[in-house]
Amino acid sequence: MSPDQLTALLNTELGESLAGKVPGEQVTQLERLSGGANNETWRLMWGSTSLILRRRPFSADSIDQLEGNILGLSLVDEAAVIQLATSTSVPVPDIHAVFDATHPIGEAFLMGFIAGESIPQKWLVDDTYEVARSRLAFQCGEALGRIHSINCSELPPNIGPTTLEKRFAAAQKRLHAFGDISPVLQFGLNWLIDHAPSEASCVLLHGDFRTGNLLVDEQGLAGVLDWELTHQGPAAEDLGYLCANVWRFGQLHKPVGGFGEYDDLIAGYGSTAGWAPDLATIRYWEIFAALSWGLVCQTMGALWHSGNGDLERAAVARRRSEAELDILLLIEEWERA
Amino acid sequence: MSQDEAQTTASDVTISELLGAVKGFLMDSALPALSGRDQFNARVAANVLGIIDREQQLGPELAALDAAAAQQCLPGDPGPGTAPQRLSRALAAREIDADSHFFEYLKQRQLLVAAINNPRYASRKVAEEKWRDDS
Repeated sequence: MSPDQLTALLNTELGESLAGKVPGEQVTQLERLSGGANNETWRLMWGSTSLILRRRPFSADSIDQLEGNILGLSLVDEAAVIQLATSTSVPVPDIHAVFDATHPIGEAFLMGFIAGESIPQKWLVDDTYEVARSRLAFQCGEALGRIHSINCSELPPNIGPTTLEKRFAAAQKRLHAFGDISPVLQFGLNWLIDHAPSEASCVLLHGDFRTGNLLVDEQGLAGVLDWELTHQGPAAEDLGYLCANVWRFGQLHKPVGGFGEYDDLIAGYGSTAGWAPDLATIRYWEIFAALSWGLVCQTMGALWHSGNGDLERAAVARRRSEAELDILLLIEEWERA
Repeated sequence: MSQDEAQTTASDVTISELLGAVKGFLMDSALPALSGRDQFNARVAANVLGIIDREQQLGPELAALDAAAAQQCLPGDPGPGTAPQRLSRALAAREIDADSHFFEYLKQRQLLVAAINNPRYASRKVAEEKWRDDS
């Protein structure tokens, strides 16, 4: 959809949706932001207020037969979870309007704009954020503890509890469906099955809580974005995911997201959750996160083959090799410890 | 080198050079003239040309490594599929003993795959330092 078409549709819709909430009469300065291989992100002005539109530009029917939510929730469910998170003190944007897949705009939601830096290559290295970085691992632990405290009975019905056994079966089904092209991903899945931790109770996980999906200002954590991979699972999963190599953006010596230390993350988590997972379990989930990234890359390739998405999605399919490399490095490290 | 050979070399344009020329066009001419999503994708396109270049250089070595591993782990009738597919399926069926020798193959394979797809990925430097001497 062209920016002009989208602007016209939004102008028709938002007058009513935003009446009494956000002053303004029409959309101006609609611009697609780069990044986001799955959903489109657009920034726009309504009056003098900056807003963000998340929009899914394609039908997920082509891969609906695959279990699990590697592609992500519907944007309608994602908006519902963000609204639930506003009941905690986790910084999330206000949701102003939600459109389902039958709407002419397409499946989408409109949310507030939170000021802050999201680009990791800036806030991970720039001196401006030095204080922020020193606080951020603890703050991320605090935020995850709060997210995990959300009452799962209030979630949309699509976000149900699961077990490790089901997760392994879903991963195996994907590896087969994607043509069994990676002996390393299969080796990684076998290893994860053979080294699975004891089953832990399910909590609401953000599912994609990582550098790149966090907004950071000079004080630290300013916003938690991109809730599309939200699901239920063991708490340690979110902590391990944040520490995965692929989300350290080159700062491998800082295990928490490329900016912090394990001890601070665990202490922050304990301060709001009242307990914390042990480091070994967190590290297990780092390996699981690497496998998940490999499967996401394969999903992007499958989507592109089905005619959904542009060049970026085709290119992301090749980033599977990052996941494969990390799986081998992490398993070797685990076995030598 | 004879004069004829020198002239042939001077007029030849290899696949790598063609890819480099297209990359130069994308980065120097197209990218500054584009904006927004198209500009972003022009940069992606330039990176993709790098993958193509590296795969045509390293692909044969990777294929030979995979074929040797399949030959060793799955002797007899090769059956359908590529060597990586047959190895993956045998792993899924737990028909391969994933011992230290097999792990060594996976590491050497992955050094090549990473060199093709994303040589700047931070973990690759770590892997190169740890594994390069193992081969």
